[in-house]
Amino acid sequence: MGKFAPWVGYLIALLGLPQLFDSVLAITIFNQMAIAIVFALSYNMLLGQGGMLSFGHAVYFGLGGFMAVHALILIEFETVYFSITLIPLVGGLIGLIAAIFVGSFSTHKAGTVFAMISLGIGELVAASSLIFVSFFGGEAGVSADRTFGPPFFGIEFFQDVEIYYLSAGWVFASTVFMYLFTQTPAGSMANAVRDNPERAEFIGYSARRVRFISFCSSGFFAGVAGGLFALNYEFITEENLNAVTSGRVLLMAYIGGLGYFIGPIIGAVVLTLMNSLLSNYTELWMLYLGIMFVLTVLFLPRGFAGFIMMHQTAWLSGRLSSLVLPYLITGIPAIMFGGSILAAIEMLHHGGESFGFLFVTLDSGNALHWFALTSVGAASHFACRLSLGQLTSAWEEANQSEDTTERGPS
Amino acid sequence: MSILSLRNVSKSFGKTEIIRGVNLDIQAGERHAIIGPNGAGKSTLFHLISGKYQLSSGRITFRDQEIQNHPPYEIARLGLARSFQVTNIFPRLSVFENVRCGMLWKQGLGYSFRHLLGRQTELNARAMHLLEEISLSDRANFPAGELAYAQQRALELGVAIASGADLIMLDEPVAGMSLSEAEAAVSLIRKITEGKTLVMVEHDMNIVFDVADRISVLVYGEIIASDSPQAIRANPKVQEAYLGEAILTDAGGEDA
Repeated sequence: MGKFAPWVGYLIALLGLPQLFDSVLAITIFNQMAIAIVFALSYNMLLGQGGMLSFGHAVYFGLGGFMAVHALILIEFETVYFSITLIPLVGGLIGLIAAIFVGSFSTHKAGTVFAMISLGIGELVAASSLIFVSFFGGEAGVSADRTFGPPFFGIEFFQDVEIYYLSAGWVFASTVFMYLFTQTPAGSMANAVRDNPERAEFIGYSARRVRFISFCSSGFFAGVAGGLFALNYEFITEENLNAVTSGRVLLMAYIGGLGYFIGPIIGAVVLTLMNSLLSNYTELWMLYLGIMFVLTVLFLPRGFAGFIMMHQTAWLSGRLSSLVLPYLITGIPAIMFGGSILAAIEMLHHGGESFGFLFVTLDSGNALHWFALTSVGAASHFACRLSLGQLTSAWEEANQSEDTTERGPS
Repeated sequence: MSILSLRNVSKSFGKTEIIRGVNLDIQAGERHAIIGPNGAGKSTLFHLISGKYQLSSGRITFRDQEIQNHPPYEIARLGLARSFQVTNIFPRLSVFENVRCGMLWKQGLGYSFRHLLGRQTELNARAMHLLEEISLSDRANFPAGELAYAQQRALELGVAIASGADLIMLDEPVAGMSLSEAEAAVSLIRKITEGKTLVMVEHDMNIVFDVADRISVLVYGEIIASDSPQAIRANPKVQEAYLGEAILTDAGGEDA
């Protein structure tokens, strides 16, 4: 039964969140998370599981989304009679069709060739979306109204929270199917081809065909995410299939951790939160996102999920608690150091005017503020370096001792 | 009858002719070794048979079916498996997944995304059994890339034989191993090729003369002799090719 525990927890989290946080802002954020989770998981099918680095994954998201909005319009004008609960499926099918077409020539090779083709296709579709105005609506995009469809058990989807529960259902189902895919022969061989395409051919599998299958599945789920986007926002523009969106999903999957199935979910949640909450406090949040990405690549190459999994050994040996204090001793100065860097950036950005930063008001014209900031920064940096040794030794102890205790009896 | 036959097989890279009209017949059930000095084209010959390289000219038939210039995966599906001189496994997959991947096609699972591997009880049991045979069952859940060298070589063999192919081609299976590791590997090779056809390239003459029923000598892209170990040892042409190196006159003691 332990096998299903994470899934039950996931379902409870998905359904329970709006009960805990029911503000309009919270529901908006949850809806964004739902879209981001499916999109990031679909991206991980390509990069994390299939070894295909794509710079144009928004194409399948966007095309699915556009077609979903058009389907909503058809429902609105009663051209078709169709429940809007199935709109994500429309998005998915369009994503799948687009992926079958593009994948037929782009999955021949992984690596640079694949990456460049994905970039080219991304630019091509983004440019076309501004040219073919009748379908893509130019820069204004296309919009629809989701409330005209046949009610679903009396629900007409006027409210965002109703859409959230619909999305949550799709997110859960998509996550389950994407997970199950990793457990199939096609999913297992996708990993094998990622690791070593040559050897895969000598055990009977065409690397190209294996990549093609992953690529199409990934396109399908990206399209589902696009359909969820269409349902939530009721409009879509060129921005949703261009390189910016493609870049963002790459960041989500990478920061979350490519090597783990749960990684992109973490990345989607963290980035959506940053996007929605941080942008309320600072105009520089994109800069901070960039810094976070660089730091992740440098220090946590396996992402947040990788960082969590690093503690598995200590957790299993029951020594995780011995790490709490060392983490605090190094972590507090580290956070203070990071905070003073952020404060300095904000002071430079605000130039002359005073602004609130956390619990204090800072003014870049005030020399005393600069002095205090530099002192805090220097002191915390020093404390951080000084305490790094105790963290390292505590870490080694927590991990090493497990090894010896396990070897002892056996 | 011959299970694999090569007729006038040639391969050139640019103007350099690496394989020059090779004719070779491998009988079903035999253990056949291909030897020759460095640069003779042994690995190239393997790559031609297994589909990694395209032929410049000639014909290769496996079980009366022409396989030259077919993609490697089609040749593998016919029941011709091979290992590599440089370890060529799936480093991030677990040891268990490595051998299971090798079994998938023969199991008829193909590219299926409707079967769950966890439910393939018989397949998983066979994969575990194979790991026991190659003495890696206690490493089943380790990432293959973290194994020690000799263990990776054992896994290399395991992946090759996993499909249950009838013809197994091993490219220097014991290269880089210590004496004891090599001994273990040889007995493993004997065990797992029981009832199958084996073609192997190997530099260690002890092993070649110990394992092989028949030996072919490849020199500068041509087979100069193909015969029983005793006949090869006595063959003046072979001795000439090896410039009197002691290996062939005294098959017991020398390490090539």
